[in-house]
Amino acid sequence: MIRYLIPLIGLVLFFLEPVFGLFSPLQMNGDFYYIVPRFLIMFLIFVSVYYDTKRAMYYGLFFGLLYDVFFIDIIGLYSFLYPAVCVIAGYTVKSIHRNLFITTVLTLVLTALFEFVLFQFFSLIGLASMPIKAFLGTRLLPTMIANSLFLFILGWAFRSVIVARFIERQNSPGMSGYNGQ
Amino acid sequence: MPQFFSNKRLILLLLGVILLVALISFSLRDRDNVSLPEQIIKDAVGAGQSVFSRPAHFVTGVFDNVDSLLNTYEENKYLKSRLEEFATVQAEVTDLRSENAELKELVGKEEDLRDYNPIQATVIARNPDQWEEKIVINKGETSGVKPNMAVMTARGLIGKVTLVTKLSSTVELISTQNPNYRVSAMVLGGDKAVFGLIEGYDADRRELLLKRIDAEIELKEGQKVVSSGLGGIFPKGIVIGEITEVAIDEFGLTKLAYVKPAADFTLLNHVVIADRLTPEVDGEDNGETGDGES
Repeated sequence: MIRYLIPLIGLVLFFLEPVFGLFSPLQMNGDFYYIVPRFLIMFLIFVSVYYDTKRAMYYGLFFGLLYDVFFIDIIGLYSFLYPAVCVIAGYTVKSIHRNLFITTVLTLVLTALFEFVLFQFFSLIGLASMPIKAFLGTRLLPTMIANSLFLFILGWAFRSVIVARFIERQNSPGMSGYNGQ
Repeated sequence: MPQFFSNKRLILLLLGVILLVALISFSLRDRDNVSLPEQIIKDAVGAGQSVFSRPAHFVTGVFDNVDSLLNTYEENKYLKSRLEEFATVQAEVTDLRSENAELKELVGKEEDLRDYNPIQATVIARNPDQWEEKIVINKGETSGVKPNMAVMTARGLIGKVTLVTKLSSTVELISTQNPNYRVSAMVLGGDKAVFGLIEGYDADRRELLLKRIDAEIELKEGQKVVSSGLGGIFPKGIVIGEITEVAIDEFGLTKLAYVKPAADFTLLNHVVIADRLTPEVDGEDNGETGDGES
């Protein structure tokens, strides 16, 4: 059963993102703060770190494609960036110790990087005309605060689900050869 | 690390980048119709999304209710002060309406740019990375939605439909940075209506720019701006906003006015799509309407 849990969580997070997006932008003292939910990519980084980078890439490609087609109509943007972030996460974690705190920090750093690359891209094609200072203050900072809150609350749950799946795969000898490819 | 860039991987990476650039440039073109696989994905995701957005709307509804409860006293005071004014205005409106109808009958004019079929829709998602101002609504081609139709809330214009699939459609809000986004508008309140184009959005001031107004014409702050219906697709008379400042544009030939939008773009929930009764023609509201043939 745990086998299907990871894609299922991914799907739920994918649908939850725009729902939380409905609450943004937040207005405080006349200033607007944008909060971009990045639940899915954070979960995928966890999958990449604790389970299987290749698997995380496939999930990233699939959900990225859905995201591209449904929301932004620029095909190839998220479906490239999601797997790319997973690969970076997978390669980084090979050389460092994997505990929950380090994974959380790595996830947040990669999410911020992801957000920054998107900002650069949208500036390049002229859809965003925001000075970098405004971007850091009104977008990146509130986004990272909200997302780190989310991760601190649910990070351990992600890890336990993913590790449970990892152990399940290790214990099923018939599947391990196939999956280990 | 060295084996990360082995030959096979390098080639794959290069191919991936080429494919990526090709796909992005393909999808960045101005498209007015969506390909079949995209339609299928959009409808499937839209169906799932509407399941998730329903409880969210319930929650935001509760927040809204609490919010309006807290403001009740202030609001009531204000409303009472407006009430008397309202009665006279309403009497006048009824009178003018009947007069207008009689006059139209006299002239034999049946169609009016103002008339439209309202299509009610619910917002099922807002683009979570809020770079492009886009929302997705739960009505599509089967409900009669077509590209470039005006979308509004009870308070005023919010945007126009950009892409339509069978069961959902994408709406680009007027607060977008897209330079090709124009709405033909007019200013009310002077001796006669003044025409201009809503072109662009000032993100710092959170106000729209009304451009190409004749430099001879005097405009005042507080005048109302509505859609003119001359752009070809939008009906006439949808409230857009109120002028807050008048300036000369960068070339000094025409005037430019800052318009504060009447509608609120945050927490959008229910919207109305205006399907104009007068046949649509090509115009400034957007390039082509001739997608019926394609």
